[in-house]
Amino acid sequence: MLRLALSTLILSSTAAAAFPVTVKSCDREVTFAAPPERAISNDVNLTEMMLVLGLRDRMVGYTGISGWKTLDPVMREGVAELPELSAQYPTKEVLAGAGADFFFAGWNYGMKVGGEVTPETLEPLGIQVYELTESCIHLGPKAKSSMQDMYDDLLNLGTIFGVGDRAAALVAGYQAQLAEITAGVDRTDPPRVFVYDSGEKAPFTAGRYAMPTALIEAAGGVNIMDDLDKSWAEIGWEPVVARNPEVVVIVNYGDVTAEQKIAFLKENPAFADIDAVRNDRFVVLDYVEATPGPRNIEAVRKLARGFKAP
Amino acid sequence: MTEATAIATAARVGRRAGVAGIVVAVVAAAIVLAVSVGAVPVPLATVWGIALDSVAPGLVTPHWTKAQANIVWEIRFPRVLLAGLVGAGLGLVGGALQAVTRNKLADPHLLGISSGGAFGAIAALMHTGLFLGLLTVPLMAFGGALAATLMVLGVARFAGATSADRLILAGVAVSFVIMAGANILIFLGDPRATHTVVFWMLGGLGLAQWPHLLWPLAILIPCAVWLVAQSGALNAISLGDETAASLGLAVPRFRLQVFVVAALVTGVMVAFSGLIGFVGLMMPHLVRLVVGGDSARVLPASAIAGGVFLIGADAVARVAMAPEDLPIGIVTGLCGGLFFIWLMARKR
Repeated sequence: MLRLALSTLILSSTAAAAFPVTVKSCDREVTFAAPPERAISNDVNLTEMMLVLGLRDRMVGYTGISGWKTLDPVMREGVAELPELSAQYPTKEVLAGAGADFFFAGWNYGMKVGGEVTPETLEPLGIQVYELTESCIHLGPKAKSSMQDMYDDLLNLGTIFGVGDRAAALVAGYQAQLAEITAGVDRTDPPRVFVYDSGEKAPFTAGRYAMPTALIEAAGGVNIMDDLDKSWAEIGWEPVVARNPEVVVIVNYGDVTAEQKIAFLKENPAFADIDAVRNDRFVVLDYVEATPGPRNIEAVRKLARGFKAP
Repeated sequence: MTEATAIATAARVGRRAGVAGIVVAVVAAAIVLAVSVGAVPVPLATVWGIALDSVAPGLVTPHWTKAQANIVWEIRFPRVLLAGLVGAGLGLVGGALQAVTRNKLADPHLLGISSGGAFGAIAALMHTGLFLGLLTVPLMAFGGALAATLMVLGVARFAGATSADRLILAGVAVSFVIMAGANILIFLGDPRATHTVVFWMLGGLGLAQWPHLLWPLAILIPCAVWLVAQSGALNAISLGDETAASLGLAVPRFRLQVFVVAALVTGVMVAFSGLIGFVGLMMPHLVRLVVGGDSARVLPASAIAGGVFLIGADAVARVAMAPEDLPIGIVTGLCGGLFFIWLMARKR
C-alpha cells in the first residue's frame, strides 16, 4: 500500500515536472501550465474519451448528452457520480459556475462557430479548451477523416492531463485490436458503402470529413460519398441510387429507430434495385460508435463483419 | 424676466431634474435586477460585493469564489449593458424612421439593413470561418449592413424613390433580394451549422464582453445626439413633405441622412446581437402614449424604454429555460406581441 502510494507520488511528480505542455488544437497551440483539475466534456463520445483515460476524478461534470440522445447503461455507470450541467450546449455561465478550468468540446459538439462558447470567449474565464480533431473542418481546411484523428485526441488529452503513458498504451492497444479485426479483410474489391443518418425527403449522410468515412475505410470499404467535401451533409437521393451502395450503414439515435430507417429504404420502389436493399445488407451503428471515440474500434468490427461477402 | 416666467422656468427645470432622476433610477433598477439573476444562483450580497470590488477594489473583503466573480463581472455585467445599448439603439432608430417615413410600421429591420447584416453573419458563420478572430461575425455583419444600405440608396436613386413610401418599398425589395442571397449561403453550407445561423437570426447577447461594448457605444452616442438635435426637422417632416419643404427643409436629402444614420446604428447593433425584432417597432408607439408625438421627447424616451425592455427581456431569456439561454428574439416577440395586443384593446 505504502509502495503504491509512493509510486503514484513519484509518477505524479514526474508528470508535474513535464509541465508546461503544449498541444495543437485545431489551428491553435494551447499551453497548459498544469494538468486541469476541474474538467467538463460535452457529448457522449467526448465524455467517453475522458472516462477511458481514467480522468473521471479530474472532472466536475459533463454537458450536452440527454438533450439529444439517451445515455446507454455502460455510459451511465461511468458517469454515475458526475452531474450533467446542461442537457444541451452549455452557456458560459454554466461552465464558469461549475468552476471549470478545462472544456473538451468540438465545433457542433458543444461549440458553435461564432457562438457564445468558444476557446476565445472562455479564455478570460480561465477555462482552456481542447477541440475534437474531427470537428476542425468547421474552422478551416483539414485532411480527410482518419482513425488517427481519434488517436490524436486521446494522445493529446493524455498530454494535457499528464497521463501520456496511459494514453499511449490505450492507443497502442486499439491499433493492435484494429489490426486483428482487419487482418483477414480482402481489400482488392472494397464494397461501396452509404451512410444513412436520417431524412426522408433527402438523406443526411457522412462526407469526406466525417468519422464514418474513416471507419468504413478501416473496415475495408469505401464511402460512396467520400468525394463530398463536407463532414455531415444533406444530399439528394439520386446520387445514392446512381452509385448503388452494396452496404448501407444506419446511424442509430433519436426518435426514428434503425428498424424504421431500414423499413423506409426497403419500402420505397426507387431504392428496390440498390444492391444493399436487394441483398438486405445493413449495418447499424449507434451514434456513439459513429462519432470519434473509444467505441470506434467496436464500430470497425461491426462494419468488417457486415462487409464480408455473403 | 418677470417673476412669473422665472417661476415657470424654475418649475420646468425642477420637473426635468425629476424626470431625469426617475429615468436614472429605473435604468439602474433594471441593471441591478438583471445582473442578479441567471442560470447559476449567486446570492445578492455576493453579486453586489463583486460589483463594488470590481469598481473600487479594497472596499469589501472578497468572500466569493473566482467562478462567482467571473459570472457576475465577466459574463453578466457586459451582457446586461450590451442589452441596454442594443435596446436603446433599436428604440431610437425605430422612432426616427417612423417620423421620417411617416409610417407607423417602419422598423430598423424593414429597410434591408438587417438582412444585409444577416447575410454578412451567415457568410462568416457558414463559409469563411472566423478569419478575423472573435470579431469576425460582428465585422462581417456590420459590413453586410452597410453594403445593404448602399444598395438601398442606389436603388432609391435608380428608381427615383425620394418619397417616404418609395424609400420603404426600395428597402423592402432590396431586403428580399439579400435574403434570397443569404438563403443560398445557408443552402450551400453545412446543415449542422444552420443551427448556429438560426440562433444568430433569433438574436442573443451571449457574445457580450467588456471590450466589445465600446463599438456600439461609440456609434450610438453621436448618432443619438445628432438625431435628437434634428427633432425639429423630424417633427416638420412628419407633417408632410410639402409642409417641411415650405419650412425650408431639403426633404429628400434629410430623409437620406436620417436613413444612413439609422443604418449605422442598426448595423452595429445587429452585428453584436443578431436580429432582435419588435423593440424598434414597439418602443416608439409605447412612449408616444406617455410623452406625446414630439420627436424631441419620443426619441430619447424610445431609447430609454428600449434599453430597459431589452435588459428585462434578456433576463427572462437567461432564466426561463435555465441552464439553456432562450434566443432573445423569442422573448421580445412573445412579450412584445402580447403586450401590444393588450395595449390596442385598451386604447380602442
